[in-house]
Amino acid sequence: MKTPKSVAAVGVLVAVTLAVAGCSGTDDKPAASTSSSAAEKVTLTYVNWDGGMDKVVDEWNKLNPNIQVKLSKPSGTGYTLYNKLITNNKAGTNPDVTEVEYQALPALIANQVVVPIDGYVQDLASKYDKNALSQVKFEGKTYGVPQNVCPMVFFYRKDVFDKLGVKPPKTWDEYAAAAAAIHKADPKKFIGNFTAADPGWFAGLAQQAGANWWKADGDTWTVNINDAASKKVADYWDGLINKGLVSPQPNWSAQWNTDMNNGTIVGWVGAQWGPNQLPSIAKDTAGKWAAIPLPAWTAGDTTVGIWGGETEAVTANSKHPAEAAKFVEWMNSSEAGMSSLISNVQVFPASSQGQQLPVLKTPPPFMSTQPDYNTLMATVSKGVRTFDIWGPNANVTFDSYSNAFGAALQKKTALSGALDTMQEATVSDMKKLGFQVAG
Amino acid sequence: MSQSRALGRSTAATSATKVRGRGGLLPVLLVAPAVVLLALFTIAPAVYAIFLSFRRMKVGRGLLGGGKPTGVFAGFTNYAATLTDSEFWASLARMLLIAAFGVPMTVILAVVFALCLDAKRARLVGFARLAIFLPYAVPGVVASLLWGFMYLPATSPIGGDVVDYFGNRGIFFSVANVVVWGVVGFNMVILYTAVRSLPKELFEAAELDGASELQIALRVKLPMITPAVAMVALFSVIGALQLFNEPTTLKPLANAISSTWVPLMRVYTDAFVNNSIYEGAATSFILITMTVAATVLVNVASRRITRRQSR
Repeated sequence: MKTPKSVAAVGVLVAVTLAVAGCSGTDDKPAASTSSSAAEKVTLTYVNWDGGMDKVVDEWNKLNPNIQVKLSKPSGTGYTLYNKLITNNKAGTNPDVTEVEYQALPALIANQVVVPIDGYVQDLASKYDKNALSQVKFEGKTYGVPQNVCPMVFFYRKDVFDKLGVKPPKTWDEYAAAAAAIHKADPKKFIGNFTAADPGWFAGLAQQAGANWWKADGDTWTVNINDAASKKVADYWDGLINKGLVSPQPNWSAQWNTDMNNGTIVGWVGAQWGPNQLPSIAKDTAGKWAAIPLPAWTAGDTTVGIWGGETEAVTANSKHPAEAAKFVEWMNSSEAGMSSLISNVQVFPASSQGQQLPVLKTPPPFMSTQPDYNTLMATVSKGVRTFDIWGPNANVTFDSYSNAFGAALQKKTALSGALDTMQEATVSDMKKLGFQVAG
Repeated sequence: MSQSRALGRSTAATSATKVRGRGGLLPVLLVAPAVVLLALFTIAPAVYAIFLSFRRMKVGRGLLGGGKPTGVFAGFTNYAATLTDSEFWASLARMLLIAAFGVPMTVILAVVFALCLDAKRARLVGFARLAIFLPYAVPGVVASLLWGFMYLPATSPIGGDVVDYFGNRGIFFSVANVVVWGVVGFNMVILYTAVRSLPKELFEAAELDGASELQIALRVKLPMITPAVAMVALFSVIGALQLFNEPTTLKPLANAISSTWVPLMRVYTDAFVNNSIYEGAATSFILITMTVAATVLVNVASRRITRRQSR
């Protein structure tokens, strides 16, 4: 409601035609189209939002004077970035290399934003297990080198749990009991929150429960977002919310940050990368947290889902795909690259060889009191279970998640109903785009 | 003509006939930059948006589309999709609800402030004027962030732990409040200027007739600035239709705000989250039509009022 501009409603669309490039565009040097032009000096642009990535890029630049990488931070994370990439793709202004979370890769492939790198990299099959490769390989083509694996884990405030005499939960039943015990001891405290802001979080929990939101058979998709397993997860959290045992505050909000920092929220169902984010969320609590495996549905079960995880992809706009792929491969599968990622970005590598690297013996700074942090990640990542494949319009699914779950939390209606909304939104969008959907 | 002569660098002697000779050209040249900019950055994108609104994207065969996605003619399906979507009408209703509170508030408060500042006994006018105007100078996004912190229980100095500012009903007040706070100052300045430009003799005459300060304000000043009030109301109505910044900035803080909460957020979500520029274009075209209709309505209404008063 500011100064009126008569046609500002299309102002948004002006951005499309003009392709306002938030990420820096490709360089203007003459194209080195052949892959063997390594002698010629090229500059690659790379967009990534992770803290510490600048140091990794610095190391590459030192090792490769002829292929210099220029890092830029995107103005938004997640789908803000991916949709900008899709838009910029039409204008030809995308950076050479971009970070892509696994769940967004199919959408970028369907929109021809990224290109296969099979011709540029060595055989990945020997270095990565099938699970990791399935995140980047579609229809026989590889669109990136898997960077990390992000199993979900449970972070809790060890000091608070010890003081209250609450045992860290091994199963979801114990989690509910611990939630009740903490809330009873101090009605202002919560064991955690249910977030409508993070679809990937819920997807990870659904994976653990056995859900499989997308399946591909030939050219036909099957979508199963409102299946029994997902509804079980929704109903479980519904119960905790209705009893007032968990906070409904969305993750990453000012409220949540404050609550995490001042001890109102004393646990977090998070993922491997948590210690990289926690310093900016709850800096006063460094060293007070401990990580344990995600609570299981049945005692002893080690299955966990993933939340996040990413690869670097080479864009269709890149004039130097060979060099770009080389950079991606170095970062994610060479010892130097992976070591740098581990110590600077606190990545837990997807490569089985990378998981043995000596730098993993040091825990992330935020978890200084838990020296075996990375050993825990190695253990839990053995139980990782993901969807068969991420849908080609996971962006629509994710947007629908935030709206539907946010509304359900606000109106206090059943969370499982939100899953039906997601299913419907996803399928109708896929059909509209021309994908073949079964049923 | 006199303008072109003043601006013309040619000597005055040659002017009279020569200037008249190229009469049509110089004004055209002078407005050309504005016209070109308008055409390039407003009209052309608008035309392109209308073109897009009649298309949709179609992926090729194959699991992930295989081959470049193509734009195909879609007829009125994008318009139909928006117009038959209950969420679109719900978003319009939300917008109207905020406008129903926000527009009168921005106008009434601005009138009150303007009249108060013009009152004879007013002190610290300069400071007050600046204080009321200052929020307008704060960008909407910044203002929303600031208010967001004030609303949230953990950071609120205004009782966020007692009042749920992001509740199902509270949210409308919360958003409208940010908007009103930011716009009142601008409206106030327009109205204040209008009041200051009124002839002083009228007030003196009224005073001699025994009118009180309040009576002068309400019976003399207010009727005379009605055209300005109408214009301010028009600005506010158009502004309400463009509600976007405030709810978008507050969205990450509150479950109550969805990504399609008001129509413009829906346009943004369609175009840049769900990657369907086509539907976004259709929805924005529908909105433009509504904005133009609302503008005409308010204009006609205000003209009626002014005419009645001048009679």
